[in-house]
Amino acid sequence: MHIPENYLAPATCAVMTAAMVPVWAHAVKKVDVELPKEKIPMIGVGAAFSFLGMMFNVPLVGGTTGHAVGGTLIALLFGPDAACIAVSIALLLQAVIFGDGGILAFGANCFNMAFILPYVGYWIYSAIVRMFGGPERTKSAHHYIAAAVGSYIGINAAAFFAAVEFGLQPMLFKDAAGNALYCPYDLSVSIPAMMIPHLVVAGVVEAVFTVVIFAFVRTTAPDLTYDAIKGYAPARADNKKPIPVFALVAVLIAATPLGLLATGTAWGEWGADEIADIVTNGSALGYTPTGLANGWSLNVPMPDYTVGGMGEVAAYILSAIIGTALLIIIFKLISIPMKGRREIHAS
Amino acid sequence: MSFIELRDITFRYEGEESPVLSGFSMSAERGSCLIIEGDNGSGKTTLLRILSALSFPEKGSFVFDGCDITEKYMKVNMNSKLFHKRVGYLFQDPDIMLFNARVRDEIAFGPRQMGLGDEEVDKRVRDCMELFDIEKLSDKAPYHLSGGQKKRVAFASVMALNPEVLLLDEPYAGLDRKSREQLTAFLTELKRAGKTLLIASHDSEILSGIYDERLVMM
Amino acid sequence: MLPEWMKESDRYVPPKDGGTFAVKTIKTIGDIMSRVKVQRGHEKKHCLPAELKLMILLVLLVLTSVTQNGLVLMGIAAVVLFYLSTWPARDLWGIIKTSLSAMALSFVILLPAMIMNPAGIPNNLVLMTKVFFCVSMVGIFNHTSQWNHVTGALAFFHIPGIFIFTLDMTLKYMVLLGNLIRDLLTSMTLRAVGRHDRKYASVGGVMGVTFIRGTEMNTRMYEAMKCRGFTGDYGKL
Repeated sequence: MHIPENYLAPATCAVMTAAMVPVWAHAVKKVDVELPKEKIPMIGVGAAFSFLGMMFNVPLVGGTTGHAVGGTLIALLFGPDAACIAVSIALLLQAVIFGDGGILAFGANCFNMAFILPYVGYWIYSAIVRMFGGPERTKSAHHYIAAAVGSYIGINAAAFFAAVEFGLQPMLFKDAAGNALYCPYDLSVSIPAMMIPHLVVAGVVEAVFTVVIFAFVRTTAPDLTYDAIKGYAPARADNKKPIPVFALVAVLIAATPLGLLATGTAWGEWGADEIADIVTNGSALGYTPTGLANGWSLNVPMPDYTVGGMGEVAAYILSAIIGTALLIIIFKLISIPMKGRREIHAS
Repeated sequence: MSFIELRDITFRYEGEESPVLSGFSMSAERGSCLIIEGDNGSGKTTLLRILSALSFPEKGSFVFDGCDITEKYMKVNMNSKLFHKRVGYLFQDPDIMLFNARVRDEIAFGPRQMGLGDEEVDKRVRDCMELFDIEKLSDKAPYHLSGGQKKRVAFASVMALNPEVLLLDEPYAGLDRKSREQLTAFLTELKRAGKTLLIASHDSEILSGIYDERLVMM
Repeated sequence: MLPEWMKESDRYVPPKDGGTFAVKTIKTIGDIMSRVKVQRGHEKKHCLPAELKLMILLVLLVLTSVTQNGLVLMGIAAVVLFYLSTWPARDLWGIIKTSLSAMALSFVILLPAMIMNPAGIPNNLVLMTKVFFCVSMVGIFNHTSQWNHVTGALAFFHIPGIFIFTLDMTLKYMVLLGNLIRDLLTSMTLRAVGRHDRKYASVGGVMGVTFIRGTEMNTRMYEAMKCRGFTGDYGKL
């Protein structure tokens, strides 16, 4: 689910980052009020735990494995606000250390995985627990069911937002010829492409990962979960309010593209015959009516990648540099196995 | 050929210039007891890791019971499982060996893996708890225990697999006087039962009645 | 006294199949550890200050992402490739490998789009190229910068001390907890000599213990901080 660099337009990235700023501010403020002083460095533990959790290979059927994001789990252990900060830091390190998820797309990735995922997951978890009669009176099994449902919906909500972010790209950003500049898939493709694997596989991995670890901590060290920490610092009256407000905002953001969808291809109607239709018409993958898209599309200074006129000389020089550098790199890479052998002999 | 034999081993950790072991050889017969002594950083733990096939030397060979233990050999699932069943390894830090919710489950992990029946598993767990005097801890979470108790649980969980060879990394570290005596008595019995013992330890005096050979690492 | 079964050897034949998740995770975690811990000393004495590098990186990333101009993209390509070509082969491969796999992934993702809409192929190829260079640039930055300098660079950008403190804590715990997970899984594989019927209990155990240990370490560390006179004012860190 880590959105890489260049799939989202920089403008989208900027918008998503801007959307994260109040979320981060809110989370920091809440953590400051809620967490006792000695728990502050715990966020570091949470971030490290989140980072390592994403690296953990969760066993699936027949020797295959999958990765979980673990956003809901972090929220269950550290609280949703601390989770938001912790997962953000984990994502930052992933982007920088591994190039896993783009640096410009950091805001968007945080929006999906550090905001939507833990808050939605935790909100659903606590709603279910409340339904069963509140944290104290609920049976353990119900806590685990709540954790499973919460994490499953949480990751699917996050995937849905990622799909929407992808799907908006071809509508908003295209060149003069009408071809997509960034992610080429519109909502009719991106939503099923993201949602089906998440609903079927990733959601299950996430739920399993969340429940087994949450259950282990709850049985062996129950005083360490967020439910317990909250017990020490009694919830204030306005404690629960911000989450539904955020959820509402999130739903609104999600609903906007759904309106756009209605004009083009609708949910679930996307099928094989339709692709054929699109291809025979020779137009791009079910773009929405141009009127809507044109209003948004960027004014492109040089629509084509053909380099002409003034730039010709520069292009030659650059080609020469690229070619030479590539040759050097390739030769160096070829030399690795030989060098390795020599080094072993030398030692 | 000996039961366990290392020939001309060179080993270095990735990215390190100088090897921890170079041109190192040793051997141990079936049923013998070997003490491995040496200063901190002399390669005792590295040696045990090689003997438990967790690390592989860049040069030299490791033969166990007539079988060449190489990285390729251990890649085969069945080979590595049989090897680990026969060679038990007690880590220096018991904390990294405990990952189950209860002491009972911790000890039962190995026998369950072996596909033993519930009764047999129960019997092994009970025997091991008795052997290490940890019956009272049965339902506790392993990492809430004290250092010495953790060590006992970790050792019990290795013994439940009934390995033929035991690699013990500082088994006496962190034990009180009474536990040390119990451990020595236990090791003596294991040797009598024909197990092969390779012990990295600073306390060769306490083991003076047991060991056949002392290996000092430089 | 030893129980009878311990006095003799078992005749044991292990089953063929078995979970590989522990082995895979050990490998992944080991990989992270080596990346976090070892900076391989490629950072030279004369290199640019980290804050400047971070700024250049951001500018280049935005430029690469925004540009529709072939010449600009070629210019970036030339700079990146020329710089890389001066590197020793071994370091080079680390960067190129990551970038190539990112590009390969992009290719797979974009393949259906290219098949269905051939007119869009040039743009898709440009996208893949951009992915390659962005990942390369991040890789170069990461490879030539030490972590303490990077967090120092963040302070230069007026990022609050508490955030940098948390980032440093994260890096510290990543190494500590990462090693713990790796060791736990290693010791588990030593005892996992047969059919692993309770894989999920083990996953819960390993990560659960890691969480508990992390919490403990944190409490200890805070106590140690207090013993050294820490008053709870994170702004001064």
